[in-house]
Amino acid sequence: MRKYLPWVGLVARLILGGTLIVAGYLKFDELDKSQMAVRAYELLPIPLANFMGIFLPFFELAIGILLVLGASTRIAAFLSGLLMFAFIMGISQAWARGLSIDCGCFGGGGQVAPGEADYVTPLLRDTGLTLLAIYLTLYPHTKIGLDKKPKTATELGEGNNG
Amino acid sequence: MANQKPGKDNFTRNIVIAVVVGVLLIMLVPTLLSKQTDTSAKVPASVSADRGYGIVFNEELTGVPVIEIYEDFQCPVCAQFEQLQGDYIESLITAKKATVVYHTLSFLGPESVNAANAAACSADEGKFLGYHRALYANQPAENTGVWSNDVLGILGQAAGITSKSFTSCVNNMDYQGWVSNAAAAGAKANVNSTPTVFINGKEINRQNEYFNADKFKAAVERG
Repeated sequence: MRKYLPWVGLVARLILGGTLIVAGYLKFDELDKSQMAVRAYELLPIPLANFMGIFLPFFELAIGILLVLGASTRIAAFLSGLLMFAFIMGISQAWARGLSIDCGCFGGGGQVAPGEADYVTPLLRDTGLTLLAIYLTLYPHTKIGLDKKPKTATELGEGNNG
Repeated sequence: MANQKPGKDNFTRNIVIAVVVGVLLIMLVPTLLSKQTDTSAKVPASVSADRGYGIVFNEELTGVPVIEIYEDFQCPVCAQFEQLQGDYIESLITAKKATVVYHTLSFLGPESVNAANAAACSADEGKFLGYHRALYANQPAENTGVWSNDVLGILGQAAGITSKSFTSCVNNMDYQGWVSNAAAAGAKANVNSTPTVFINGKEINRQNEYFNADKFKAAVERG
């Protein structure tokens, strides 16, 4: 079983990284909308929300590319786990407060007509992605990546690649 | 499997990380800067920087309601709003019963930027309201390539604009900087959808006041 785990890790990397790249790329072209999407969560002060609206697509692209390439997998997975956790918090609080917003996960975002907001889909998706991120943080040694493998298979668990 | 050889260092990996992070940082900084207000940008007629770079009518009036409309010319709901409330708002302007500020946002895409620029050019011709109406009456589906500057220039005729200066203003994107300032001002004002209407600084009720002629009128008169 143990020898299949790096392949599981590869699949996890591609799903998590691929999702982040798509999400970042789709927002990249319409940063005004991305800012709008962050503001609509009514969580951050407006100037910070506007900054995050621009920063997030770049950040998603960066960690997404690193995950797909398998470069610094552990750090990239840890950061994407934090990001997904923040998204889950943001979406949950919007739902709990009864805001009517589009999650803006893959572009779009902002207010929507009351009753049209869908919070379940993004929450389920982000929960799944969080699990992948946790898995990769714990077991960052995967097939076909730029990270160097530890010298022996028994050294699993320590991510220091130096 | 390529990197299993013991002793191989992480040189390639580190280069890749540096390039990915570096390139994105280099792209991020100018993007952030471009969202700053450019106070040197050319401003069309009747625009007030104090009013979020909106196009203002009846600026001089006091004691009347101030209606601020945030819109994107490509937004279909804005076209519905214009169809329902446009005549009433224009009548308020003509009768000098309200100060009206049009904020032309452009978050839906490049054709929104083209349209907002063209609208600014029409303000210079003193025909903003007519052109505003013509844009919504001829609104295509979003970003289908219909609103090129050529088409937007010709559309001026629908508002009775025939001057060469208008066409060249549209084609040269004279007010691109202003369009971006107006977008930044909308972001600062926390406008998260279009249309958004503020009356005397307060947003009207999204549940029922936008698309009900009587309730909208009541909201304006309440002030």
